Amino acid sequence: MAASSSWVELLKNSQKTCMIQDGRRKLHFTLQDGRELAEEYNVKTNELVVRKWKKKSTLGGAGNWEYEVGEQLATKNIQAEGLMESNTNPIFVRKDTALSFQWRIRNLPYPIDTYNVTCDDNQNIIIRTTNKKYYKKFGIPDMERCNLKLEQSQLSIAHANNTLIVTYKKPTGILEMEKELQTEFSKLKASKDGDVDCTPS
Amino acid sequence: MAVPSADKVQEIREVTRIERIGAHSHIRGLGLDDALEARNVSQGMVGQMDARRAAGVILEMIKDGKIAGRALLIAGHPGTGKTAIAMGMAQALGSDTPFTSIAGSEIFSLEMGKTEALTQAFRKSIGVRIKEETEIIEGEVVEIQIDRPATGTGAKVGKLTLKTTEMETIYDLGQKMIESLTKEKVQAGDIITIDKATGKITKLGRSFTRARDYDAMGAQTKFVQCPEGELQKRKEVVHTVTLHEIDVINSRTQGFLALFSGDTGEIKSEVREQINGKVAEWREEGKAEIVPGVLFIDEVHMLDIESFSFLNRALESDMAPILIMATNRGITRIRGTNYQSPHGIPIDLLDRLLIISTTPYEEKEIRQILKIRCEEEDVEMSDDAMTVLTRIGMETSLRYAIQLITTANLVARKRKATEVDVDDIKRVYSLFLDESRSTQFLKEYQQEFMFNELAPSESMETS
Repeated sequence: MAASSSWVELLKNSQKTCMIQDGRRKLHFTLQDGRELAEEYNVKTNELVVRKWKKKSTLGGAGNWEYEVGEQLATKNIQAEGLMESNTNPIFVRKDTALSFQWRIRNLPYPIDTYNVTCDDNQNIIIRTTNKKYYKKFGIPDMERCNLKLEQSQLSIAHANNTLIVTYKKPTGILEMEKELQTEFSKLKASKDGDVDCTPS
Repeated sequence: MAVPSADKVQEIREVTRIERIGAHSHIRGLGLDDALEARNVSQGMVGQMDARRAAGVILEMIKDGKIAGRALLIAGHPGTGKTAIAMGMAQALGSDTPFTSIAGSEIFSLEMGKTEALTQAFRKSIGVRIKEETEIIEGEVVEIQIDRPATGTGAKVGKLTLKTTEMETIYDLGQKMIESLTKEKVQAGDIITIDKATGKITKLGRSFTRARDYDAMGAQTKFVQCPEGELQKRKEVVHTVTLHEIDVINSRTQGFLALFSGDTGEIKSEVREQINGKVAEWREEGKAEIVPGVLFIDEVHMLDIESFSFLNRALESDMAPILIMATNRGITRIRGTNYQSPHGIPIDLLDRLLIISTTPYEEKEIRQILKIRCEEEDVEMSDDAMTVLTRIGMETSLRYAIQLITTANLVARKRKATEVDVDDIKRVYSLFLDESRSTQFLKEYQQEFMFNELAPSESMETS
């Protein structure tokens, strides 16, 4: 597991902050190359709820958070952005479970036989629709970080309540790495929410 | 002067325009041929052959981009086309070369030091061509719907449906986006790209599937394939940003402090040094390319001695742009001193300048310029009226004559005529005084005005 340990090393060498708030263990990493990574885990189940990245743009301005797992809950302001996707569009969110990577695409009302989900040679999963309404190409960054190949046989889909659920079973390499990371995280000293260093008079 | 008819065909202008008509909006270039010879009447420029040829040579130097920190002075009487030549150069350089235009008095402000304002102007004139990854949306417009509020006021809302061969997405539009979509005249069937970061819209062409919609099609209509795959793509684009823009991006105070400092304000010299270092690094790595632009300072005699000595120093840097200055002063006092100097510019700076001079226009040329202005302002004028106006232009000033075009047109329209006639010109000539008649009037009626009992001071302050 040389590849997966390089990711663990990267996190170990970064500057870390940990906090427990709202039943979530919130971690913030500043990697050595300047990128910022924020993760949120459910305290009870140790499930990953949010993972987001922030890096500086080429010209040096501060960028926005980019969500890898979970979704941004704050409402966007159309006046500031000028253009944004209507909320009636399909919304693509990754939401992992303990044993599998999972993506949920809400606002997709078409029946299940409309969808065609495949893995291609470039390590991407592609969702196609026969009625040409939705198309999405995405990779699994976790797998790329560990140099693992995607396999079509691990993919499965389900459809209910206007939501398409795509599931990919985590291989053992990933499961072991996550276990290792969790034990590392539990060693971190976490500040509780509401901790105030000084006593306010 | 048989050239104009041929030139008119060349210059196809867009049918509609949103910009207002400014004093120099008829200038579209320097009007030079390939051998840098000035055509008599071309691209809105008339006469001033020598000055235009000289400007053309400088233009070649700028396009080469090798030489930094040269300066050019355009000197001439008021209304002889100094600003027009500078505008022509800007137009000829195209939109990819930064061209900053400021007036000499603009650097004096309470919020910013003189040298800070000049440094910012300098850095606005240096472009950096750099590859940057941006998110773009590329697709065919299926439907565009803009709702105006029933009351007539308030924000417009809109929806835009885009598709590729594989998918379809609906976007909500903000006010700004609606404006730029209407400006670009985007309609169903167009293939467009939208830069997500800047909101810039580019029309790529019309979709092949719409090729048979109409028989009548502009000659320039280009048909393109509907894009494939996802609507949103990450793409590496090469674009030009100015050093000043990079400064601002890196200096903006974070968080609530941004509320108290304005958009730019003064930029710390450490930030600038850091960016210079970074740009040099990019250049060595081959990531970026420097595009030296042009800084044009109009009314340069308004600068004071400190600014001039700052310019001396700033021109020596290898990151300096080409500096173009214009002045209409002769030998006059340098601002901030009691010394007299040609053009109000210290001799040591003058020594570093290439000087172009403009000459007063001849009658034929004035007529030509007035004709161009009439065209620009959509005014029809009879030949006799044009002759009279040309005479007025010769005897008073070109600017006054140009002002009369608009006013005479209004008078003509009031009497429901389509063409401006001699009488209209006479009417406005009597209504509005030119500078010399006004002076004459003042001389005669000096006694009637207020404060005339005070003895006039020895000489007027000119700077």
